[in-house]
Amino acid sequence: MNGRESLVEAATSAWRPRSAAGELQPHPAWADLDSQGRVEAYEVTRVLRVIETALDPEGLSTTAKAVLARIGR
Amino acid sequence: MTADVDGLVPLIAAGDAEAFGRWLAGAERRLRESLRSFAAVVDTEAVMQEALLRTWQVAPRFAPDGRADGLLRLAIRIARNLAVSDLRRWDRRGLVDAKEIEGIAGDLPPDPSPGDDPALRAAIEECRRQLPRQPARALAARLEGGGTERDERLAERLGMRLNTFLQNITRARRFLTECLRRHGLDVAGERA
Repeated sequence: MNGRESLVEAATSAWRPRSAAGELQPHPAWADLDSQGRVEAYEVTRVLRVIETALDPEGLSTTAKAVLARIGR
Repeated sequence: MTADVDGLVPLIAAGDAEAFGRWLAGAERRLRESLRSFAAVVDTEAVMQEALLRTWQVAPRFAPDGRADGLLRLAIRIARNLAVSDLRRWDRRGLVDAKEIEGIAGDLPPDPSPGDDPALRAAIEECRRQLPRQPARALAARLEGGGTERDERLAERLGMRLNTFLQNITRARRFLTECLRRHGLDVAGERA
């Protein structure tokens, strides 16, 4: 796996850093990708979230779980 | 989206987080699809999560207009506004080609096939059982982490280097995608 592939895969995580004000920020790996790599990360993320949703008993992806964790469910 | 999902809106407006979770399960794919044209210039994952949080926060004041998918349409508008705001920030710093900003608005994306498709669930469970051990461990860690922990921490917990962890995520995704394809389910080519 080369550096670019690692960046694309890392950017597919639902984890995102937050600013001091609490707003979500771009993933550091996403920020290091060029335009083509960012589109690739979007497409890979789309597939991963479908897989995650199908694997989860409640039909929740890691994106949904991250949001629900922030609202304190 | 079905009327049943729209039926969750009063519960969400009343602060029912479980109902919001069920709504999310049905709304996420179309929201993500609505941000496709921003993918080269905006981190759509961060925008989506921020938009969903704000949707939850404003839901008590949401007034349905009688048309289907009202809360989803609101979430898409919030997400696009956030994306445009991010885009302008990057543009001011000269990091975005002006041509990339053109034509980013769009209509409500079509309703995809349901994420809780029983055939998909049955096939993916069978495929998961066939996953090699290390990719299975990495994928399980991502799922259990629920988007709240960075990969470095998940990798450390599994005793893997970060690059090995990411390699295993790639292997898991490719294995499951190929396995589903053998079941006649194309999750990679399908537009969400």
